[in-house]
Formats: sequence, structure tokens, C-alpha cells
Amino acid sequence: MTRDTDQLIAGLVDTLQPASPLRFSRGAVLAFGGLVLAIGLAVLQYGIRPDLMAGHPHAMFILAGGLFLLLGLACTVATVAMSNPRVGSDRNGWGWAAATASLLPLSALAIALIEGQSAWLASEPDHGVICLGISLGLGLIFAAILVSWLRRGAPASPERAGLLTGIAAGCAGVVAFTFVCPINSIMHIGLWHGLAVTLGAMAGRLVVPHLVRW
Amino acid sequence: MRAEDATLARLMASSQKGDKRAYAMLLEEAGKWLKSYYRRRVAPDHLEDVVQEALISLHRKLASYDPERPFLPWLAAIARYRWVDHLRKLSRVKETAIDTDFAGAPEEPAIAAKLSLETLFAKLPDAQASVIELVKVQGFSIADASQASGQSESLVKVNIHRGLKKLAAMIERE
Repeated sequence: MTRDTDQLIAGLVDTLQPASPLRFSRGAVLAFGGLVLAIGLAVLQYGIRPDLMAGHPHAMFILAGGLFLLLGLACTVATVAMSNPRVGSDRNGWGWAAATASLLPLSALAIALIEGQSAWLASEPDHGVICLGISLGLGLIFAAILVSWLRRGAPASPERAGLLTGIAAGCAGVVAFTFVCPINSIMHIGLWHGLAVTLGAMAGRLVVPHLVRW
Repeated sequence: MRAEDATLARLMASSQKGDKRAYAMLLEEAGKWLKSYYRRRVAPDHLEDVVQEALISLHRKLASYDPERPFLPWLAAIARYRWVDHLRKLSRVKETAIDTDFAGAPEEPAIAAKLSLETLFAKLPDAQASVIELVKVQGFSIADASQASGQSESLVKVNIHRGLKKLAAMIERE
């Protein structure tokens, strides 16, 4: 070790402060809190959807909400884990969840190709734009929590961290607004809810790396 | 966990609790490990700089180590990240050299940035502001900044590290 490095080490030792280790469980609890907060805000602001209120949730609520929830969960787990870097860690499970959830927009695309204009109308574009905007807004809450967690840690791949944060946030926003949105058509869910996740992913990939580099 | 890793993991766990003796031993060992890691990856004249940057990263990201996991895979991830960053910096240096060849480029943004930096520098201790100005604004090497400021090279790095941290916090607050 050179004299300079020895001096640097002495300087670093001198400024050592106790550091509470970032635990995965704590990050997961924070993320769960963010999702509950997003759902709470959505329900308080816009009211719960009628079938849920009646205690008889529609199958599409369970199916689509469940797929987006699983994708968001897989991306959140991978993102939270990225704060504790280590060589050899490989969390690619989110890719399978993404492939499964992509069946929703792919189904909508297939229907749109077959039915054309009527499929567009079935997506209820007026309500769809509202769904998209509110889902992205709710997703921002979730994204803020994940980004603050990543900034405390040391994500070794900021680009991947950004992409996963964006998908997780998009899914969280969509899941939260699914408790409000009363529309059960595959065209609406595949197009507008799928678009919220896609835009979230793009925004995350573009913006988050700049916020979490260290 | 291998014996060496288990020892380092124990030292790291103690360091996270604020044990300076354990931390000094850990940094000494980590420094040796990093030197051997980078020896085959960076040019000899950059070796010491990259090792020191990785040690500073270790210091800044102490909390990101989970004491229930092995230490060396964590250190290797830090080392790899700094290596990639080093390569990016090298490529940016080349780009900057090409940019400055364009004579007559508008200077207003640079002047505005400098004024803004000077406002921020005024809030920093002189020792930190002067070396940040020399290295990050005027493009001096650490060695040249050390000579110009009368600070040792390691002190220049520590002051830049602390000063930039303060600057980042200031910018975030503004």
C-alpha cells in the first residue's frame, strides 16, 4: 500500500460513523407501505369499484390485478435487493412475470387487429386516459420510495435498477387504481393499464439511473 | 464463507457499528484485495487512483453491506462498479478534449455554471472549495492540485469527496 493510500485510509477511518445495514426486509416493508398508501389514496379519492363494494369481485379484477401485482412484486423484490450489491446475484424472475403479464396487452392487440375500430371504442378511451394518468400519478409515490431506497444503497447496475423501478411503479399505480376502475374489458385493461406499466418502465429507465448513480 | 471472507465479514460488521480499529484493518485488507483486482484491469498509472476511489465508495456505501452475507462478493460488486465508472470517465475525457477544439463556442453556459459554482463554493471550507475548483473545474490532476494547494494527494481526494458531498446536499436543498 502506498503512503497516499495509507493516508486516505487514515482519513476514512477518522470519519467513520456507525451505519445501520440496509436490510432487504426493511425495504420490502417500505415498498408494501407504498402500495397500501397508493391504494388508500385511490380509494379515498375516487371510491371503491361497485363489484368490490358489493363483495363480489369480477374475475377480471382478480386476474388482471393479480398479474400486475405479481409483476410489480417480482420487480420490487429485484429492485430492493439491488441496494445490497454482490457479484453472482442473479434475480431474473421478473422477466417471466413480465412475459406472463404481457399476455394482457397482447390479447388486446390481437382483438384490435381482428375487430378494428370497435375494439378501440371497447377500450373506452375517455376513461382510459384518466386511468393512465391516475395510475402513473399513483405509481410516482411508489417510485419515490424505491428510488430513495436505492439511493441509500449501492445499485451496481443503475440502468437495470431504473427499468425495474419503472415497471414496479407502473404496476403499483395500476394495481392501486384497479380498486377504483370499474371497467373489466380486456381491451381497456390491456391497452390503458398495460400502457401505464410500459410508460412507467420507459420513464424509469430514462430518469432513475441519473438519480441512483454513486 | 471462506476463512478470509469470514474474517473480513466480521471486521465489516464491527465497522458498521463504528469500531475504528476494525475499520482500519478492513480497509487495509480491502485495499490489498482491490489492488490485486485492478492490477489486470487498469493501466498501472491509474491503479492507485482507482483503488482509492473504490475505498472511498466502500466508505460511502458502508450501509449497503448486509452482515449476514459474504463480504468479498459485495466488495467485488463495488470494485466492478468503480471499474466501469473509471472506463466511462476515460471515454468522457476524450470527448471533452474533442469538444474544446471547437473555437468560438458560446461561453455563456460555462460562465453561468461557474458563477453558480462560485456561489456554492463560497459556502464550503476553503480547503475543499480550492481543490474542487482545481480538479473538477480547471481539470488539474490530483498530483497537480496537490502541489498547487499544498495538500497531500490523499487529502485532496478526501477534501474533494467531502466537498462534493456537501455541494450535492446543498444543490438538493436549493
